[in-house]
Amino acid sequence: MQILNWLFRRRDEEQNVRVQAKDRMRKMLIHDRLELPPDSLVSLEEELIAVVCRYFEIDRDTTRFDLQQYERKAALVANFPLLRSKT
Amino acid sequence: MSGRVVVVTSGKGGVGKTTASANIGLALAASGPSVALVDMDIGLRNLDILMGLENRVVYNLIDVVEEKCKLRQALVKDKRLPNLCLLPAAQTRDKTAINADQMKVLTTELKSMFDYVVIDSPAGIESGFQNAIAGAEEAIVICTPEMSAVRDADRVIGLLEARKEEISQYRLIINRIRPAMVKSNDMMSVDDVLEILSVKLLGVVPEDDDVIVSTNKGEPLSGSSDNQKAGQAYRNIAKRLHGDEVPFLDLDSLNPTWFSKVVKFFNPAAMRV
Repeated sequence: MQILNWLFRRRDEEQNVRVQAKDRMRKMLIHDRLELPPDSLVSLEEELIAVVCRYFEIDRDTTRFDLQQYERKAALVANFPLLRSKT
Repeated sequence: MSGRVVVVTSGKGGVGKTTASANIGLALAASGPSVALVDMDIGLRNLDILMGLENRVVYNLIDVVEEKCKLRQALVKDKRLPNLCLLPAAQTRDKTAINADQMKVLTTELKSMFDYVVIDSPAGIESGFQNAIAGAEEAIVICTPEMSAVRDADRVIGLLEARKEEISQYRLIINRIRPAMVKSNDMMSVDDVLEILSVKLLGVVPEDDDVIVSTNKGEPLSGSSDNQKAGQAYRNIAKRLHGDEVPFLDLDSLNPTWFSKVVKFFNPAAMRV
């Protein structure tokens, strides 16, 4: 049983190297292409959340905020699960 | 005659631009068209060595630009193929010895003489690179499946895209791929790199020790049908460049294991890299 665990854990770790490289690469290139300073996304996220919070109560735990790649362009994908309206 | 001017570039050094230029040039010429190989790495000349023509160099590209000789005098005829020529770089000058306008004049003259003008660009994205792409209509971007090479390739692609009017298309060669490392998830795959860069693929070249041997001999691998790895990959790339449809190399068939055979039996598409 221990051997099995060891085998599977090892495989997972190995898989991570390739997937890690790809994920790091994708993030890096989105920032490169947009000439985006590293912390500007953080302040954008805070400001956007503040705006949405004026109108809605949102579930902060499942709020997602991400840059995704579509061909050679980037898209800002935000997901604010709304709990109820404040208005 | 109006030939096609193709620049081979990468951003990062050491990923195989010169090797690719030599192999593509030789393979193209072997299939019939006339080809001029132009070494634009002024001051760091190497294409003559890979072609085994270093002893025949008399004049160079800068001599032509400075009108110290005629273009025809500077062209070194290949020793294997009569329809292949090399225009060597100057070894004792630097990249400031030529400018983009002079390069455009030179490529215009070359494409009136040859079906293909293949330009080997220097590494970097400064003046040497800008001069190399000045007269080009198409580009081949080379990268290896390493993060630094992919990042630099992306930068070059961005610069090529900014010159869409002049450079109508660019395609990617992924060089030095190691199928076993991809399989064990230790190296990015061809699909990973393509997905990240979002470019058209021109070819995949497997890691091959024979590349070093061929450099030492001055005989590009694509010149003989003996080599079934990098040499075959470059022969296929030359055909695709010429407009033929050639399926991509099945890298696993190069050193099949019982496991790859089983996987291939159940899912042939999964193993094609």
